Amino acid sequence: MVAGTMVFLIGLAGAQCVPVVAWALQAKPVSQEPQAFDDFTQRVKDYLKLHKTVESSLPRLKTTKHGKTIIDRQHALAQKIAEARSNAKQGDIFTPEISEQFRRVIRAKFHEAGAPNMRKTIRQGEPLTNVQLIVNGAYPENLPLTTVPPTLLINLPQLPREVAYRIVDHDLALLDTEARIVIDFIPGAIP
Amino acid sequence: MRRRIFLLVVLLSLPVRPLRAQDITLPLKSGSVRFAAIGDMGTGHKAQYEVAQRMVEYRAKFPFDLVIMLGDNIYGGKKPNDLVKKFEKPYQALIDAGVQFRAALGNHDDPNERFYKFFNMNGQQYYSFKKGNVRFFVLDTNYMDPKQLEWLEKELSNNAGSDWKICYFHHPLYSSGAFHGSSTELRLILEPIFLKHGVDVVFAGHEHVYERVKPQKGIYYFVEGASGELRAGNLRQTDFKAAGFDSDCSFMLVEISGEELYFQAISRTGTTVDSGNIRKTVHLQPTPPASEERVKPPAN
Repeated sequence: MVAGTMVFLIGLAGAQCVPVVAWALQAKPVSQEPQAFDDFTQRVKDYLKLHKTVESSLPRLKTTKHGKTIIDRQHALAQKIAEARSNAKQGDIFTPEISEQFRRVIRAKFHEAGAPNMRKTIRQGEPLTNVQLIVNGAYPENLPLTTVPPTLLINLPQLPREVAYRIVDHDLALLDTEARIVIDFIPGAIP
Repeated sequence: MRRRIFLLVVLLSLPVRPLRAQDITLPLKSGSVRFAAIGDMGTGHKAQYEVAQRMVEYRAKFPFDLVIMLGDNIYGGKKPNDLVKKFEKPYQALIDAGVQFRAALGNHDDPNERFYKFFNMNGQQYYSFKKGNVRFFVLDTNYMDPKQLEWLEKELSNNAGSDWKICYFHHPLYSSGAFHGSSTELRLILEPIFLKHGVDVVFAGHEHVYERVKPQKGIYYFVEGASGELRAGNLRQTDFKAAGFDSDCSFMLVEISGEELYFQAISRTGTTVDSGNIRKTVHLQPTPPASEERVKPPAN
């Protein structure tokens, strides 16, 4: 805890190539500059490859009656990913060009007629405030996972199962849902 | 005449007996599908344990072997002991009796709960399963991305038979709760899919009250988000509210037999706060226009 905000650990990124996965085929982002989103998709694939490499060093997680097994594995995965990308910093995935494209799409959606409904969705999902995101930091386990407006999700590049967008205050975060850590974020992306 | 008045006075002075614990309004038909519905329960507090105890008592007279969980299964901390305190302990008697719990994820749940065996999600954030003549579709409304929508369309198409189609998830498409209200954006996306594929009934939580919604475009909606948490006095008057209960925690019992669904909502103290039955909507399949029949090429 620092100055009333929750602060999370920092780690680093590794970026390697990854085979194309099925989810990429479904991506149909609304974009005037698709190359920025293509670059983003590639960077997410690189992250996913790192995630899978790290994951393969841990025992495979099967359904279990033991909550400790699930939680221990989540923590171990988070720690190993943080170690593997210990130099990661904000902007590695959401580069300035990619961030600008995200901001453009998000701004456009929030100027459409459906904007009040999107804001309502965010409000109803019990939005987080006073939370400072840090790359490789843990998403706090005692706080709710914010709800991302579905009409916004439709307009953003699709993500593999292991990764999700989350809105934290006005920031758009990219979260590793299995390790529950912040991969990257765009500050102030949500108007 | 005096005798009649006397009898009337005596009758009126008798204590009115509300439906108390274990008074079942459900028909208990042979071969019926029976389940309980709970939502927003995972607090580990006294109210959750008391609701769980009522469920055990009711099960003695209404044997059910399935509990659908409408999300916010584990609030707050996610340490191993939290799963014990907020799930295993309160429902121990039901777990021991072989009752199967099937969870949907709420905004307070960690997606890794899908690996928790007691939640029977088999590692999936959204999934479907069949029980008797009922097909359940369990959604993750925290993250309704195109992938999930595509899956839902496909699952509903693949199960286009005459079974009951019941969807359940966390965020209510219709709610008279003052705290959150209806998830209107989600409704705009999901309702057309439900209508297209003939979904019959929808259960949701999130709002810490019980509510039965008037049928909306032929679909019945229930909110049960008070099985551990409660927002007392939170229900507003809306034009779609059919019945509600917001003065104590609650859970639901449901029985489906053939074309009929019977429901009973019960409070933490064992009082029946709502009950009734609904008949499965007949979903008409569009028939091809006669002209299409005529243009069929003649058989050689």
